[in-house]
Amino acid sequence: MMTCDEYLQDPEEHAAHVASCETCRALIEELDDIVDVRHRAISLDALPLAPWEGASHRTWPLVAAGLAAVLILAIALFFASGVSSLNGIASAVMSAIPPVQPVVRVLQLTSHAIGVPVIALLFVAINSILFLLLRRSPKGIDV
Amino acid sequence: MFKRLVVPLTSIAAIVTLCMVVAPTSANERHAFSKDLYVIGKSATINKPVAGSVQVYRGNVTVANVIAGDLLVLGGAVVFTGAGRVEGNLIYAASKVTNADNRVRGHVYPLASVEGATASMTKNAIVASLLLVWLITAIVVTLMSGREIRLSSIEVRASGLHCFVLGLVAFTSFVLTAIAFSYLIPYVIGVPLLAALAVFAILTKVYGMIAVFHAAGTIVAGSRSRQQLASRTWLRGDLAMVVIGALILGAIRLIPIIGPIVWGLASVFAIGTALATKFGRREPWFLAWRPSEA
Repeated sequence: MMTCDEYLQDPEEHAAHVASCETCRALIEELDDIVDVRHRAISLDALPLAPWEGASHRTWPLVAAGLAAVLILAIALFFASGVSSLNGIASAVMSAIPPVQPVVRVLQLTSHAIGVPVIALLFVAINSILFLLLRRSPKGIDV
Repeated sequence: MFKRLVVPLTSIAAIVTLCMVVAPTSANERHAFSKDLYVIGKSATINKPVAGSVQVYRGNVTVANVIAGDLLVLGGAVVFTGAGRVEGNLIYAASKVTNADNRVRGHVYPLASVEGATASMTKNAIVASLLLVWLITAIVVTLMSGREIRLSSIEVRASGLHCFVLGLVAFTSFVLTAIAFSYLIPYVIGVPLLAALAVFAILTKVYGMIAVFHAAGTIVAGSRSRQQLASRTWLRGDLAMVVIGALILGAIRLIPIIGPIVWGLASVFAIGTALATKFGRREPWFLAWRPSEA
């Protein structure tokens, strides 16, 4: 005796089952019904703007204006403070790089101050939380 | 119920841990472990020779005798008098150093170099110079991988709280990992591990900040409708949003007190969104394990 599951797995092979099973016959009839698809006019302008729309556009005048504005501001501020603009910008950029030796020394001093057990405990706890947070999938979509 | 508590509890845990690391609470007020001296929240005078290093947090220090190791001062004044001198390095942040000429055998390091540089230049000029570097970097990165930046920007706008908490936890993790790696410096592996961590942290911050620039630009100047987008010639596209966001945040950065706070918060969001989206690739960091089906 053929079961309904076996029939549903391969309806063409077990076509004879339909004749003997009321449930499967009703299912087939339902599937054979003509589906009335009603086409509705979609207004694209009514849909929300997708993030990627117009994203590849490159506004070079705005980029040039932004760069020029910041450059002029930096030069003017250095000029006002009596520092050579070029040297000032170069020094400012170099000053943003943290000095390695004192940073490492501070790390070592801090670790001695706190103590190895506390550091180990905090290290495991925070990285476990980080691991759990990183398991969450991103929410934002760009379709 | 538990899920509602996750975000606040995680934030509190990260902030408490960060505070514990930044201001070592295990050393109460004044302690001496081995040859080192720790002073927290009060002023100190070094009258007797110290064989190790001296660390002063949120307090002034008067150095009247010899410190054999380093002197670290965070948030206080340093005054050298009498026979006071430091055989190691003098490292300070948010501090004023007086009469230190020829009294420090090693180097004198202002920990936050930008603050040190402001002694001879206006702070705003430095901030504007750094903003120029940020702007150039942001333009280059957006041209190279605009889609990834946009995806991270969407994430910070769609799930801001998660990005903030993740950024806070990740920053704390960076600090703790750096401290853990500093134990390995005497061995060969310590230095490359610290260097790799530093490179990863900097890349995370830079990439994330550009995504935050994009998000800020989109919030302020992004098109709200298709007609508005079509009518615009300048204010459209990823590049424009990044430039506008960078200019807005850069202008806020110039405001005293508020600027650094806003920039700091933006940095936390930046680290969070960079890690939450895996640098815009939207791939899982960890593959989920499932038992194989027979």
